[in-house]
Amino acid sequence: MKILVVDDSEAFRKVMVELLVRVGFHDTVEAKDFDEAIEVFRRERPKIAFVDMILLGKSGVEVTKAMLAIDPSATIVAMSSIINKKMIRDCMDTGAKDFLLKPTNEIALSSVLAMWSD
Amino acid sequence: MGFFSKKSDVKKSGAEAGLGITRKYNLAGGKSYVVEESPPDISFDAFVNIISTTSGDACKKMVGLAVSRQHPDLIKQKYGLETTPIYWLATRTGPEVISPTNLGILTHTMIQFIDANPCSVILLDGIEYLVSNNDFNKVLRVIDQVNDHISQGKALMIIPVDPRAFEQKEMALLERNMEKISAKLETK
Repeated sequence: MKILVVDDSEAFRKVMVELLVRVGFHDTVEAKDFDEAIEVFRRERPKIAFVDMILLGKSGVEVTKAMLAIDPSATIVAMSSIINKKMIRDCMDTGAKDFLLKPTNEIALSSVLAMWSD
Repeated sequence: MGFFSKKSDVKKSGAEAGLGITRKYNLAGGKSYVVEESPPDISFDAFVNIISTTSGDACKKMVGLAVSRQHPDLIKQKYGLETTPIYWLATRTGPEVISPTNLGILTHTMIQFIDANPCSVILLDGIEYLVSNNDFNKVLRVIDQVNDHISQGKALMIIPVDPRAFEQKEMALLERNMEKISAKLETK
């Protein structure tokens, strides 16, 4: 199962991919902003995308909207280092399935993946 | 007397609005959990996640009380908490402040909250600060007393601990009656 990680921090993407590998998900792709995310999403068709809500340029809500327009069956998990309830609700209203607080850890990530990975 | 005047301050807490997200930490009620970490990110994530989600357990919705060295305004802002009571461990005065040397009020605040809210979760952050202001055994006694109340009901308690701040024997004593949570790798 392919997983996309969208975050403007290269360091965060690297650690997130390492964490995904540790919990048994090896097929990962990365993107740093809206344009790259949509390009990679269109090409790779990941089943799950972890999308940081605060990106340079267009926001995570806009990324979510665009991804679901391409593939409505994709699972989008919003990520942020702050819990802004309005932002989370906007994202869920747009179609994101879940939310993950950054920094994350194996327990939280495994629970989200167990919920949405099949 | 200060100890008793504090009694009326702890009210039945309102529940945080649900966010419709996954319950990521399935911690059983009636137990206390020690999380070896610094900073206390996993503990706060678990606390906020539990009080912002629902589960199919006996306690469908849980309410929380947090005690921390971090200022309540910072915690509210970062974690979007609106109704959860947060107490600041500090040597200041104020309605949301508990002095680190007043272990009686601290114990009483937590126990009264558990009694008023059977489906509750307590986050006790800052035990290193408590130990630096008191004898370790006194702090351990606070935890044991609250833990006794926890184990009689459905509430649960989360205590982040920086293992670098404690001797091996002290860590063993802390973990004696609690379950240990370890998240092997954290993203930064």
